[in-house]
Amino acid sequence: MHLSDDDIVRSISAHSPEGIEALYDRYGGLAHTVALRILSDRGAAEDVVQESFLAVWRRGSTFQPGRGSLRSWICTIVRNRAIDRLRGDRHRTRLDSPIEGESIEPTVSDPWAAVAVELSAEEVRKALAELPAEQRQTIELAYYGGFSQSEIATKMEVPLGTVKGRVRIALDKLRASLADRMETSWPTQ
Amino acid sequence: MADPMSCEEATDLLALEAVGALEPADRELVERHLATCAPCTHAAAEYADLASLLPAALDLVPPPARLRRQLMAQVYAEATAPSRPSWWRRLVAAIPAGRPFTAIGAVAVVAAIVVGIYAVAGRNATSTSVTYTVSGTTATGTLSVDTTARQAVLTVKGLSALPSSEVYEVWLIPPQGAPKGAAFLSPGLGGGPWTAVMGGSMAGYTSIAATVEPAGGSPTPSNTEVLSGQLTVS
Ligand SMILES: [Zn+2]
Repeated sequence: MHLSDDDIVRSISAHSPEGIEALYDRYGGLAHTVALRILSDRGAAEDVVQESFLAVWRRGSTFQPGRGSLRSWICTIVRNRAIDRLRGDRHRTRLDSPIEGESIEPTVSDPWAAVAVELSAEEVRKALAELPAEQRQTIELAYYGGFSQSEIATKMEVPLGTVKGRVRIALDKLRASLADRMETSWPTQ
Repeated sequence: MADPMSCEEATDLLALEAVGALEPADRELVERHLATCAPCTHAAAEYADLASLLPAALDLVPPPARLRRQLMAQVYAEATAPSRPSWWRRLVAAIPAGRPFTAIGAVAVVAAIVVGIYAVAGRNATSTSVTYTVSGTTATGTLSVDTTARQAVLTVKGLSALPSSEVYEVWLIPPQGAPKGAAFLSPGLGGGPWTAVMGGSMAGYTSIAATVEPAGGSPTPSNTEVLSGQLTVS
């Protein structure tokens, strides 16, 4: 049986453990990937993923369809927690926990979802690669590094307004480029 | 209060917010703009969705199977735990045997009356009002209820800024029945206190509280109380 994102949201709102399970099975892999990219530490990334899904479970779904997709909602939750942890860790040294032998389980059970994820990864990679290096670097410093506008301005030695301009232009270009790719890869109804 | 920000300026800030680079001081400005601008709210969602595609370019690293087992063990353990009374029930239960606030009761309480709350609402007329204190882990504030104009102003310090997807919702809580969503707190200029104005009578409510809710508010409060206070006269 394939659950839509809407079904998952309804299930979480009804405080059903199955809702969290479905959310994790669909987006746990993405959540882990984001946390690991930000923290570069397996133990810390796993903690952040676990905390994020538990927070969703305990608090119930605060997801609002008008404010973005379920995917972007869970990405934001995980990203923010990972950045909080990263910022905390910048001021102290961590003792890396040993990595145990562990099995990997597939997180995508629906073959069509798997195809869509792979396709989109390739498309997004290409779209990102087309951005000028300084624009790509700016959004990556922000999204994965947790740096604010003024911190990026200092790091890249550019005025504040330049950082703002680069982020907006980069996102606008990404949107245009992804829209083009979607039109060429998906047959129109 | 006039919104000093244009849609063009707001859009720049929404792009920064989507990648997490927005400065806290700018967040309040952009929040105030979003509160009244549907096109920018739509643009905010679009930028957030675009930013969330950035990780799609990464090689997917599946988490270990152990993580799923740990998570679901915890979730199922909590799902079967005996349910506790909702936090607002506990709040009502904690009220000492004072008199619940009523229109008649309030007028009689001379000691608590302060004058001049209407300066806040932009009028100079003196009118009687009763002030209650509210507090939370980090927040403190007052609720000033104007007993003649049937209007109340909640002023709160010490609340942190919220992402654009969330709001502070104010609830009026009766001794029986469900809390009523009464207003949203708006951030003050330049980090000033948050305020919410509520119309209508406060009669019949025994407590007030604020929680973090998704933008647009919720039908019932979530378990995210940031402050509470009692509308009782002891
Ligand atoms: Zn606007």
